[in-house]
Amino acid sequence: MALKFKGNVWVFGDNLDVDYEIVPFRKFDAGLIKLEDVGNWCMANVDPDFAKKVKKGDIMVAGTNMGCGHDHFQANLAIKQCGIACVIAESFDRNFFRNSIAVGLPIVELKGINEFAKAGNELEVDLHAGTINNLTTGKALKFTPFPDFLQEILEVGGMDPYADKLVAAGKVKK
Amino acid sequence: MGKTIIEKIMAKAVGKSEVSPGEYVQFSASRIDHPFILTGTDMSERFGKWKSQDWTLFDPSKIIFAPEHCGSYTRVGSTTTNRENHRRNSNWLKQLGVADENILELGRIGNCHHLAVEKALALPGSVYFSAMTDGHAITVGGVGCFGSCMSASAPAFLRTGWTWFRVPESIKFNITGKLQDGVMGRDVYEYILGQIGPTGAIYQVMEFTGPVMDSMSMDGRQSMCCLAMFTGAKTGIVNPSQGIIDFFKARTKVHFEPQYSDKDAKYIKTYNYDGSKIEPQVVVPPDRHLVHNIKDVEGTPVTNAFLGSCASGRDEDLRMAARILKGRKVHPKVLFNITPGSTDSMSRVDKEGVISTLLDAGCFICAPGCGMCPGFYTPLAKNEVCITSSTTNLPGRMGDESAQVYLGSAATVAASAIEGKITDPRKYL
Repeated sequence: MALKFKGNVWVFGDNLDVDYEIVPFRKFDAGLIKLEDVGNWCMANVDPDFAKKVKKGDIMVAGTNMGCGHDHFQANLAIKQCGIACVIAESFDRNFFRNSIAVGLPIVELKGINEFAKAGNELEVDLHAGTINNLTTGKALKFTPFPDFLQEILEVGGMDPYADKLVAAGKVKK
Repeated sequence: MGKTIIEKIMAKAVGKSEVSPGEYVQFSASRIDHPFILTGTDMSERFGKWKSQDWTLFDPSKIIFAPEHCGSYTRVGSTTTNRENHRRNSNWLKQLGVADENILELGRIGNCHHLAVEKALALPGSVYFSAMTDGHAITVGGVGCFGSCMSASAPAFLRTGWTWFRVPESIKFNITGKLQDGVMGRDVYEYILGQIGPTGAIYQVMEFTGPVMDSMSMDGRQSMCCLAMFTGAKTGIVNPSQGIIDFFKARTKVHFEPQYSDKDAKYIKTYNYDGSKIEPQVVVPPDRHLVHNIKDVEGTPVTNAFLGSCASGRDEDLRMAARILKGRKVHPKVLFNITPGSTDSMSRVDKEGVISTLLDAGCFICAPGCGMCPGFYTPLAKNEVCITSSTTNLPGRMGDESAQVYLGSAATVAASAIEGKITDPRKYL
C-alpha cells in the first residue's frame, strides 16, 4: 500500500469517544457486534447511515481529541473496515493514536485541518511526502511525515503483519 | 537544556543520550532485564484472533500473567466464565514457555496496576507495559515509572519485544501548601481536572510537583497518576521520594536507576495551585469531568458505596476508611463494598486491625482485584446510587445504566457510607 490517498471528505466534530460516537461499546461488549463486521457500525451513534454512504478511499476529518476515552481498538478497526483510507484531525487521543498505527489505519495530526477541509471536498494526501492538496479549493498544506519505521508499519497494514515480517527476518532479539 | 523525568526515562529505555518532545523512538525489550510486562485474562477476549496463530514469545521470562479484571468471577452476560478464559490463557502461556511462578493464581493476585508495584515490575526510572487493553497502566507514574498500555499493539509486542513511542510534552502542576486532613491525593487530581477540563492535557504528561507532592504517600501519588487519562494525558508522573526507592529496594534485587526532572527542564505550561485550599471533591454523573466541591452535593442519598480499583484500594485508602469507621456502623440501607487492591496490601493492613474494623462496621469485604469498578461482585442494580473511589462514572460502567455513580476519595466514600448520603469526611476526623 503506497501511502497516498485521494478521496472525499467526511467531517466530524471534537472529542469523538471510541465507545460512543465511533462504535457503541455496550453493543460490542454484549457480543452484538463482531470484530469482523464492526465497520458496519462505524459512527452509528452520530450518523446511522454513515457506513452505507462512505466510499472506499474516503477521508475522515475530525477536530480535537479525536478518539478519546478508553483504549478500545475496535473503533480504529471500524473506521478502517468501513473504507476510510485516512483520518486527519486537529489532535488525537493517545490511545487512539497508538491503536491506529497498530491496526494500520493511516492518520495525520494537523492543526488547521478543520479550516482547510470541508465536507464533500476532494483531498489528496501523501503521508510519505507530508502533503495534503485540497482539489476542490486548490489549496495545499504540509505536515511532518512519520519516521520511516512508522510508515513501514502502515504500509504493511499494521503491527501484526509488521511483527510477522520482523519474526520472518530473524530480527527478534532476546 | 534540562530534561523532564519522562524524557529521561524514555531516553534511558531506548538507549539514547536524550530525547525531545515530538520525537518518535523505537524500543526494544532486550534492554530491560527483569519482568516488566503484565498481561491478563482480557487477552483471550480481545486477542482471540491472534492467539490462534503459531506464536512464539520474544522472552517468556519478562511476562507476568494475572487473572485480574475477570479471572476470578463470572461477568454478567458473558458466554464463557472468566475462570475458563483464565485457564485457557494460562495453559497457552505455559506452552509458550512462561514459568509457573510467573502465572499468578487467586490468592496471590490483585488489581494488575497494584500488582505492577507490589511485584516490582514497575520500577522507578524504568518502563512498565500492560500487554492488554487497560489504559490505567499509567498508575505506576506514582512511583516514578513510565507505564504504558499496549492495547492493539500487545500481540505484536509480545512476539517481538519491539515497539515505538512518541515522546510527549510535559505540563508541570506545582501544588504548594499542605493538604487538610481528610483531603487525599484523589481530591487533588479531581480539583485539577475541574480547573483544566477533559482536554487540558491531550497527549501530554502531567508532572505533579511541589510541597504537597513531596509529602504525599506513594499510594496517593498512584491514585493521581491513575486518573491522568481523564484530562487527555498520556500519563501522570511524580519524581520518586526516598521512601519509594526504599520500598522497591526491599522488594527486588534488580538494579534500577530512578530519574528526576532537571531544575531547568522545559515544560509547555506550568500551573500553580494552593493545596491548603483544596476541599474534598466529588465528580457527579453522568460525565467524568463534572467536578464539584463536596458542599455542592452534600446530602445526596446513596444506596451503595465502593472502595477499590486501580484508583484506590491501597493501604492508605483502607486505613483511612478504618479510621473513619472505627466504632461506627455503615448505614443500614447502604451496601459498602470494599475490595483491597492486592493480597499484599490486604495482608499488611490486616496486621494493623484494619480489616476487622471494617468488618465490624458492616462492610462487605471482597477478594483483591478490580471489584465493582467494571461491574464485578456487586454490580449496581437499577436506579441504585453509588459513591465510589474507583476510576470513572460513565453510565453502565458499574452495572445498570440507570444507576448513578458519584466519585470521591476513600475518605468521602467511608463517611458517606456511614450517613447514607454524600458526606464531608472532615467531620469524622
